[in-house]
Amino acid sequence: MSKIEINHLTVDYTEKKKSFTALKDVSFSIEEGEFVSVIGSSGCGKSTLLSILEGINTPTDGEILINGEKINGTGTDRGVVFQHYSLFPWMTARKNVAFGIKQVNHSASRSERYRIADEFLDKVGLEQFKNKYPSQLSGGMQQRVAIARALAMDTDILLMDEPFGAIDAKNRTILQELLLELWEGASPRKTVVFVTHDIDEAILLSDKIVMMTANPGRVYRELKVPFDRPRNRSELVQTKEYNKFRNDLLLLFYSDIADKIGGEEVVL
Amino acid sequence: MNTLANNLTAVKTDKKINSELKTEFLKRYFRVVHGLFFVLLLIQFLPDRLTTDTYAPYGIWFAVGVEVITLIFSALIKKVESLNLFTDIVGFIYGLLIAWTLATAKFNLLKAALFPPPGKVFWQFVDDYDKILVNIQSSVGIILQGYLLALAVAIPLGLFLGWSARIGNAATYISKFLGAIPPIVYIPYGIALLPTFKSVSVFVIFLATFWPVLSGTMSGVMNVEKKTIDSAKVLNVGKFTMMFSVILPASLQQIFIGCNQGLTVSFVLLTSAEMIGAQSGLGYYIKNYSDFGDYTRTIVGLIVVGIVIVIISFIFNTIQKYLLRWKQ
Repeated sequence: MSKIEINHLTVDYTEKKKSFTALKDVSFSIEEGEFVSVIGSSGCGKSTLLSILEGINTPTDGEILINGEKINGTGTDRGVVFQHYSLFPWMTARKNVAFGIKQVNHSASRSERYRIADEFLDKVGLEQFKNKYPSQLSGGMQQRVAIARALAMDTDILLMDEPFGAIDAKNRTILQELLLELWEGASPRKTVVFVTHDIDEAILLSDKIVMMTANPGRVYRELKVPFDRPRNRSELVQTKEYNKFRNDLLLLFYSDIADKIGGEEVVL
Repeated sequence: MNTLANNLTAVKTDKKINSELKTEFLKRYFRVVHGLFFVLLLIQFLPDRLTTDTYAPYGIWFAVGVEVITLIFSALIKKVESLNLFTDIVGFIYGLLIAWTLATAKFNLLKAALFPPPGKVFWQFVDDYDKILVNIQSSVGIILQGYLLALAVAIPLGLFLGWSARIGNAATYISKFLGAIPPIVYIPYGIALLPTFKSVSVFVIFLATFWPVLSGTMSGVMNVEKKTIDSAKVLNVGKFTMMFSVILPASLQQIFIGCNQGLTVSFVLLTSAEMIGAQSGLGYYIKNYSDFGDYTRTIVGLIVVGIVIVIISFIFNTIQKYLLRWKQ
């Protein structure tokens, strides 16, 4: 049995009397301890898919099973990192993390929660910034706190919705490596669903890449990423295999987009 | 040679530090405000034109007191901006006192019965000290009771109604309608309903605060970002935590706008109500003595009302700043 099974998921939105299909018959599965990236151009429904996994949205049709059980709303088995607004601006970094811990572990005392929070803030390199409010932290630091919270909550599954999408290139690289290190170093490894539009990020981090296509959102391809772990970016990007895999992926990505544009031109 | 050169530079830097200290000292203690203080003292030597006692010594003692406080604060306040602000305010007070002294005691330009000299007002203030304190207590007590009661009811209710209004219902419109009615028109109904002036006042202040705080809270809740709520949802927060640990702080800024409005209206209402029907309170103090033609006490009352409001809004702003310290 797979950790997560997505079965024939369809989502229709109705906005101003216009119906719009965000996802159409999406099915794939994710194994325990697997790092899966969902990539695709904007509007392909990858964030919609994740919001259903999070339990914020409900599908029009189809279902998602976790450990064989159908999900119904949010759950303590899933930790989430958004692109923005994961943190509560009125709580310090430490309180944000401790607040997350409290929601999954009601029995932990306040000092226990703070101890765990500090431990994870140390892991993401923010020991100096524990008592700062999110508005006093850079975007990259805020995402570190969000990651620390998701990890400190110690959920089986981690859902990440373009967590580094709004971070500048240099810090994004640093954060990717931090996430890779933390995830690879943990045992057992968590099951991760990671939404991104960055192909390099997807290859570096994932065991499997699910490529989606827009209008309506469907699964276009599923690809295993064949590189050994632990991975090292600077070594990996120099190999022939990496470059071949990356080029194939790009080709797939653009052929899909070219198909779409061609199709529309025919209509015109 | 080398040591000599070193010594020379050391002497130079010493001198530099010395002169810096000197300018710093001058900047701190030699200000226009102190000049105004001496002007205020000097004009006391002009001959009085008033036939009645001007109580000039009381005025001088007051000015000296203010000057001492100013000097102490000049030594204590570190930030230049804050010191500037402080001395500007004191300078304004001195300027006012100078103009006031000249216009009354010294040149008798104003009607003496309506405009007593500053010394006399200060003397009256000291003389009436206990009476004023009782009236402050009465007014502030009524405001606090009505105001805090209104906050205790309006904020939780606003959170609840705002939360259900996010889904869309009539609560918004109902509160808009009821809030649009000026609270003073409830007074006749309150008088019919309640036994004492005090309870009517508390009731009216309650209403005056209740509606702006309720609608402020509701609109705050309705404007909370969906993403903030989503990130609380994915943490699996319970209903109570969602309401008081997420929705409440997220809408705090708008709640404060309502609270501020309620406070302003409360003061206007209470002082006016006290002038009409009360036997105590600051509004009563002013109205009562002006009825007897005692304009010294009327001015004392006006100044005390001003001071009380400034202190209360200072406390209010300090609380607001503290609770919203996480905002940039």
